[in-house]
Amino acid sequence: MPPRASKRKSAPPNSSSVTSSDGRSVSNKAKTKGMDKIDRLFNTYANSSLGVIDPEGIEALCSDLGVDYTDVRILMLAWKLKAEKQGYFTQDEWQTGLKALGVDSLTKLKKALPELEKEVEEPSNYEDFYIYAFQYCLTEEKQKSVDIESICELLNLVLGVQFRPQVDSLVEYLKVQNDYKVINADQWINFLRFCKEQISFPDLENYDATQAWPLILDNFVEWMREKQS
Amino acid sequence: MSAQKKKAFQIEAFKHRVVVDPKYAEKTWKILEHAIHEIYNHNASGLSFEELYRNAYNMVLHKFGEKLYSGLVTTMTSHLKAISSSIEAAQGGLFLDELNRKWAEHNKAMQMIRDILMYMDRTFIPNTHKTPVHELGLNLWRDVVIHSSAVQTRLQAILLENVRRERSGEVIDRGLMRSISKMLMDLGPSVYQDDFEKHFLEVSADFYRLESQDFIESCDCGEYLKKAERRLNEEIERVSHYLDAKSEVKITNVVEKEMIENHMHRLVQMENSGLVNMIVDEKYEDLGRMYCLFRRVPNGLVLVRDVMTSYIRDTGKQLVTDPERLKDPVDFVQHLLDLKDKYDKIITSAFSNDKTFQNALNSSFEYFMNLNSRSPEFISLFVDDKLRKGLRGVTEEDVELVLDKVMMLFRYLQEKDVFEKYYKQHLAKRLLSGKTVSEDAERSLIVKLKTECGYQFTSKLEGMFTDMKTSQDTMQGFSARHGADIADGPMLSVQVLTTGSWPTQPITTCNLPAEIRGMCEKFRNYYLGTHTGRRLSWQTNMGTADLKATFGKGQKHELNVSTYQMCVLMLFNNADRLSYKEIEQPTEIPASDLKRCLQSLACVKGKNVLRKEPMSKDIADTDTFLFNDKFTSKFFKVKIGTVAAQRESEPENQETRQRVEEDRKPQIEAAIVRIMKARRVLDHNNIVAEVTKQLQSRFLPNPVVIKKRIESLIEREFLERDKGDRKLYRYLA
Repeated sequence: MPPRASKRKSAPPNSSSVTSSDGRSVSNKAKTKGMDKIDRLFNTYANSSLGVIDPEGIEALCSDLGVDYTDVRILMLAWKLKAEKQGYFTQDEWQTGLKALGVDSLTKLKKALPELEKEVEEPSNYEDFYIYAFQYCLTEEKQKSVDIESICELLNLVLGVQFRPQVDSLVEYLKVQNDYKVINADQWINFLRFCKEQISFPDLENYDATQAWPLILDNFVEWMREKQS
Repeated sequence: MSAQKKKAFQIEAFKHRVVVDPKYAEKTWKILEHAIHEIYNHNASGLSFEELYRNAYNMVLHKFGEKLYSGLVTTMTSHLKAISSSIEAAQGGLFLDELNRKWAEHNKAMQMIRDILMYMDRTFIPNTHKTPVHELGLNLWRDVVIHSSAVQTRLQAILLENVRRERSGEVIDRGLMRSISKMLMDLGPSVYQDDFEKHFLEVSADFYRLESQDFIESCDCGEYLKKAERRLNEEIERVSHYLDAKSEVKITNVVEKEMIENHMHRLVQMENSGLVNMIVDEKYEDLGRMYCLFRRVPNGLVLVRDVMTSYIRDTGKQLVTDPERLKDPVDFVQHLLDLKDKYDKIITSAFSNDKTFQNALNSSFEYFMNLNSRSPEFISLFVDDKLRKGLRGVTEEDVELVLDKVMMLFRYLQEKDVFEKYYKQHLAKRLLSGKTVSEDAERSLIVKLKTECGYQFTSKLEGMFTDMKTSQDTMQGFSARHGADIADGPMLSVQVLTTGSWPTQPITTCNLPAEIRGMCEKFRNYYLGTHTGRRLSWQTNMGTADLKATFGKGQKHELNVSTYQMCVLMLFNNADRLSYKEIEQPTEIPASDLKRCLQSLACVKGKNVLRKEPMSKDIADTDTFLFNDKFTSKFFKVKIGTVAAQRESEPENQETRQRVEEDRKPQIEAAIVRIMKARRVLDHNNIVAEVTKQLQSRFLPNPVVIKKRIESLIEREFLERDKGDRKLYRYLA
């Protein structure tokens, strides 16, 4: 996930306090206390004037988690948080997300990352995550497609581990072809299906161009076959 | 007669006094035996039928039927043995004769014997399930005479030898042969078959095998077929004369197989005389013969048809890819028509109008005509030529004939929408220049196109005709109104074209000469006065003008020019010499059009009303133009205007192609949406098939283009992919 800001910002001290009204029940207090911690963590990274964690904050979070900000796990975190806008976490998203993860501190969050990875890789979630990754890149209103550069990076990030050879070839192709300058959601989802449907790679024997694959994949397969001959 | 009192009156049979003679049977038999002898010795006249009958009757009655029957068998057998020997003794040619005679005699004898023994035949024999007399006679004849080893072999050999002799041209006794073969048939179909027919067929097969081998080495295809036909007819005749009718199909099969089927391929492909040569040389008789003969063998016609088809395809392909031929589109199409005529004639006169051949011809034409992507354009140019001048003075029927033939070619086109585009362009030119030979012919063709392709195809074309008509009326109204005040100025004739019906033109304007401008304004006001809410734009690139020009020595000519050319020439009313820029500026004609225009005015021999300095072929911005005082022409009227429709240059062709492709996209999308709306969910292959089917009357859509359109529709959320099965598309309401 490419955040906007490039410079690091040191984490501000844990100084903000959370107000709570008196006369609450114990469990509520516990909850609020938990909420407190989450909120406090939020405020550590949030941009106080905007009231949200902005790219700088995210970068700081990354560094504290010991994770590169281009690491796929941050994208997974965004997915878990159901973050709507790329490079930003709202307070609501933060709260809901961290609660879902069952963490309320930085250390716990760090520990939860491997589990999050496993969760994402579950078949029932994976496609959802994959689609989310694309939509996360639609930064403008009414934007429907993503430029080739970003798609290539995204493919690497999201599919690279599981489908390395396919991704490498596909990325190479996307960069050399000039039929398409952007990729839309339909094409995006079909990249995953292409990898998942066990099209034999790299010979692509069982690929059938008369089936309903998007044209870009037909062209990709043709390009591969020409390369191999 | 005994009578009994009080009993009913009875009648009893009259009883003979039965003579119980122990030797009765033997004596009676001897009488009959003697009779049989006499019969066989042609001495029957002395016998009493009644007495013999009675004797036989009595024997059977007194239960001596068995003795009678077995006696009959023995006697006949011994007689037949003697007969057999006598036949065997006959020499050479007399064998058959003797056999035939003896057979006739035997039959007569049998009849008599049967008559005598009729009672036994009717009672004893059925009761004991023995063979009836007549049949017995036949069987005995068969077993004793015919199947006696000597007779059997000799009979067969002689029969076959006779056939062989007849085949080599000798005359044989057909009557005799007929009798013999009838005899064999009478003895039982299996006798005829086993004793004669089987061997006849075998021997014939050998005979024809050899003969066909000989012929094929020495004859050309036509001759061979003649010979084969002759042999076939001979055999049919032979059967009708002296063989059993059922043998006909068997022997003809033999001939067909040996003479035709076994040499099919060699005949058809024979160099210098095979099928292709016959077609090229239009040997209708030979072709007809080949058709008739090959029809008789399995796959014979398939072979002929296939060879013909590949020949047509090859020649057709050559025709459409030959650059020389393609230089003249009208000539090219004429060649296509001639080719079609040629094959139609062959199929009608030699191939008895066989539908499968007609289909093969159609598919071949469809195949090679569409190999050349310019076929639609060329056909339109051909029609243009005909409607412009080719059909001048031709009778109405003949016009219809030509147009029908053109329609035939049109039907073969896969890209009918390309034809439509060109046809529209060419028609526009014809209508606007008034250069159509017969409006009836034009209309007739439109009707034919409508019948073929539907109302949509021709609605715009019809619109063009309507516009012309309406414009005439408009002009009448205009002259009526403004008649007086325009009488002095140049004569204006306006055609008002409805955008959308006419081929799209790039928007061009130029500055018209003042005199013209005034007139145009008057017209515009007149028109808009009666048609409010409309917008008129002058199409200066489509008009023509007639100019009266006077040259140096006073020669007067009438120049027929385009509007652009008129603008240029009018400038020379005020100057004898003008530079390119001095022409470009006031007229504001676009550069490429201006260059073309000046070229036709200054660089074409016989039409050079202007002179150019320098005298180079091409127009340069730096050129100067002078009024050509010395212009001469044989004709009073000189036509310098834009010429008739021509085949497009390569770049123009590319452009038209592109426009056609662009036009096809929405049509494909509309088809996809229509189909998906009806079916709701459909897989990819089926969509492609359905779309192709829906559009095939206009053009053959490219599956890749269809896929692209589908994806575009997905992006615009008209369709989506099914969430479960990626291969299905779903209509989004």
